Order: sequence, then structure tokens, then C-alpha cells
Amino acid sequence: VSATPCHRLFEAEAMRDGRLTGAERARFERHVAGCPACSIEVRALEALAESLRAEFPDHAVADEVRARRERTRLMAAFDRALLAPEQSRNVRHWLLWPAAVSALVVAILLVLPRVRRPAEPPTHPLSAVVHADSTSVWSERRDGDREKVVLERGALWIHVNHSSGEGRLLVVLPDGELEDIGTTFTVSADDGQTTRVAVQEGHVVLRIRGQAAIALGPGDTWIPDPRPVASARASAPAADPAPSARLDALERSTQPTLPPSPRVASPTASDSSVDFRAAMAALDIGDNHQAAAGFATFLAKHPHDPRAEDAAYLRVIALQRSGDSAGMKRAAVEYLRRYPAGFRQAEVESLSR
Amino acid sequence: MITRLAASPSPLRDDVPRTPDPDLLRQLADGEIGALGELYDRYREPIRSFVARATCDAEDVDDLVHSIFLAAAKSAGRYDGRPSCRPWLIGIAAQLLRRRRQSFGRFLAVLSSLRDVRATAADPRPALQARSDVERALGRISAAKRITLLMAEVEGLSCAEIAAALGVPIGTVWTRLHAARRELRRALEEGDKS
Repeated sequence: VSATPCHRLFEAEAMRDGRLTGAERARFERHVAGCPACSIEVRALEALAESLRAEFPDHAVADEVRARRERTRLMAAFDRALLAPEQSRNVRHWLLWPAAVSALVVAILLVLPRVRRPAEPPTHPLSAVVHADSTSVWSERRDGDREKVVLERGALWIHVNHSSGEGRLLVVLPDGELEDIGTTFTVSADDGQTTRVAVQEGHVVLRIRGQAAIALGPGDTWIPDPRPVASARASAPAADPAPSARLDALERSTQPTLPPSPRVASPTASDSSVDFRAAMAALDIGDNHQAAAGFATFLAKHPHDPRAEDAAYLRVIALQRSGDSAGMKRAAVEYLRRYPAGFRQAEVESLSR
Repeated sequence: MITRLAASPSPLRDDVPRTPDPDLLRQLADGEIGALGELYDRYREPIRSFVARATCDAEDVDDLVHSIFLAAAKSAGRYDGRPSCRPWLIGIAAQLLRRRRQSFGRFLAVLSSLRDVRATAADPRPALQARSDVERALGRISAAKRITLLMAEVEGLSCAEIAAALGVPIGTVWTRLHAARRELRRALEEGDKS
């Protein structure tokens, strides 16, 4: 098809690229209607664009396996990027190790022969205050760097001061254990089972045998599943027949926070995104204990949330970073139990060993 | 959606309720890994298609797509809140392609200096791999023009959006578009004659 050249031909492309607007565009459109050359040019430009859009059918679209593989690769890379700052810090720490060890050895060799120190009393890295009611049966013992309080029955009010050291406190319960993460809390047990846990400050992780770990934060109260809340409330005094005055006051102060039915109650809104972001924020700033507890809380509250597997994995990472290798392994095992074919199964499996 | 690949629906399915793109980007900025998976499921096809066209289906298309989504994750906090983030992703893709092109150009320059041959600006592979007239013709124009043309004609971005994404004046975009169309048409005409 031939057409007489038109001096306005270039405007076809200008219109296409948005260079003609308003009245200019309207005028050219009127011109196109009566100009064969410009009309052909407008159609040719559109045909060219059509041919570009029609080309390159995405031959990878049907290849779902490839898409999945690439998706997996992407997520793994994102994980690495997420964890990179911590890993790089760890690398730097490793680089410092030889120098630190050398300096320590030199210092010991220089100082040891000259100084005969009297035997120092064993240090207690953890400072904890335990108030027990008159009927409580409990004991305490030390296991490595961990203080253990073994509660057989009764009620204990426990305040742990972590500022005095890095140790951890574990409350051994008749049917599980309660791990403290910088906390003031009360715990009650009766008849071979834990009957109540109420947290006033900080966080604890409650592990009842045969159940998933539950993280409890400030204001949270846990009571066992089989008992309806009303009866649990009624039975509380029976479980705590004569608590100390301080325990009484704390128990009373926590009563109004008891919810009508949920197993774990929190005064804050149970928005899954809020919980997840709070845990992520803790992880970002390096508060790994808080992050681990946050992810545990998220898992307990939102077990079916699409981010649950991420939370389970990140809990493992937070515990790993915090240096709690035992907790990390337990979290890893829990992850594998929940997600045997999970996305990070291979990595978590190696951490669980 | 996030990570349970074995149990989750196909990442290519399109019939699940969608979180709006701005919310998804906000979640991604907050470090939610699942948001990246959803973003990938949502835009992998168009982004891969764009990259494949822009590079004439180079061997590293998947790597480029991978880099685009990781770059998107890094800059999700700066997302401008448009209802669809496809143009934004295309912009990221264009920037990465430009860097790749510059790196590739430097690589060719080094090679040519070592072998004492003149560097060619264009990657010779596309011409060998071309599978159709248009694809072959596209492979013959420079990458900068090709990417600009695809952003305008296939992705439907305005010239202002393209200029912003590529970091060039809008006049450069107009010039590239004009040159790209002219060269593409000429290449197609030559193909018809041969």
C-alpha cells in the first residue's frame, strides 16, 4: 500500500508516546481520519506493538517444576540475605578468636606464677527470688549453667534478675518444664500436673509433655486444656491453699486478665501480623530471646497462619543466635515435627542434631 | 503460600484471594518471607517474560529474575503505593539489565583488549538463538533501545515512567523509542526481502 507522504507523519509516533496531548492530540486525530499516510502510519505502529506483544510466549509458564525450583532458590537467597548481617558478625567473631586466645594464653602465663589467689566461692550467674506458699513442695539445684527449680506441687512466685548474669532458670514441672526468659511469674502444680502459669513481666516458654511449646508474655495466663476456665478459676485457690502475701497479691492482680475461654490469653490484640512483626523486629535488633519467644507466641496463637512455618524456622534461628543450643535443637525438632516436608527441612534437620 | 511448597497450591495459580500489592510490599519491607513468595507467584511470569524479551532469551534469564525479586525485597520499603507493582518491578528489571549490559560491555572490552580485536556492543548470542522474525529483529537493535521499546509497547509504561525507571531524561526515552521502531521496522523489512 502506498500513500502520499505527509509532513505530519511524525506526529503519529508523537501521539503514541504521549507527546501530543489535549487539543494537539485532538487535532491530529481529526487529521488522521482524512490522511491515508498518517492513518497507515498509526496502524503500522500499532501492528508493530502487537507483534511485540504476541512474540515470546512465556515458554516457562508451563514448566511448573522449574518455577518451583526457582521459587525455592529465591526464598533461600532471601533467607541468606536476612541472616547475612548476623553471619558476617559471626565471621568477624571467628576472625578475632585466634588473637583473643593468644592474648589469654600470654596473660595466664605471665600472671599465674606470681599470684596465688585464694579459692573463690562459686559464682552464681543468676539471681532469682522464689516465694512459695506453705504447702508447696519444691527444691532447687544447679545443672551446668542453669539453675533449676523443681516444683512437685503448690504455687511459686518467681522473680529472675538477669542483669546479674547470663544464666538461665528452668522450672521443672511434674508434666513438663517452664523456661524463664527474664521474668516475674507464678506457677502452680497439683496432682502431677501444671495447673496454672501467669506471667507478670518478661517471657517464659512452657513445655508440657506431648504438647507444642507455648510462649507466654506479660499478662498472659495459661491453664490446662481439659479444665474449663470457670472450674480452673474455682480450683485455683485449691491449688494454692496458702500462698504468701505477695503471691496472693499477684494472683489477684492477674485474675482480671483471665479470658473467658482461650487457653492462652493476652491483653493485646491477637493480630497475627502484629505478632509476627514484633518477633521480626526483635530479631532485627538482635534481641534473640525476645524474638524466639515472639515466634513461639505467634505459633501458639496462629498455628494455621501462612507464616507459621517461617515463624517456626525463625524461632530456631533466634535460639541459635541466642546461644541456646538446647532450646534451638528442641525448636528444630518441633519444626520438623510440624513441617516434615518443610521448605527449610534440610537446614533445620542439620541444626537439630 | 509461603514456604510449604509440598502442600501449597501451585505458585502459578491465580484464583486465590489476593493481598493488595501495597500491603504485600509493606509486609515484605517488614521482613515477611512469605510476602516475597507471594510477590514471586504473582509477577514471575510477566517479569520473566520481560527479561526474556529484553535479553533475547539469554541464558541467565532465571538469574536475572531472581535478582529482580531480591532487589525488590530490599527496596520494598520505598514502594510508592501504586495499586499494581508490576511497573515498579519492570523498572527494577530495567535497572538491573542496564547494569548487566554495562558489566557485559566492560567484559567484552577487556576481552577485546586481550585479543586485540574490536569490541562489539551487542551480544552475538541473540542473533544465533532468534526463533522468529520479530525476535531476530529485536536482537539486532541495541539493548538500551530494546528495553525502552519493550517497556513502552509491551509493558505499557508511559515515557515518564520509563525515564524515571531508567534514570534518563524523557527526551532520551523518546529518541530511543523512535530509533528502536525505525530499526525494528527496517530489520523486519529486510527479513521479508531475504
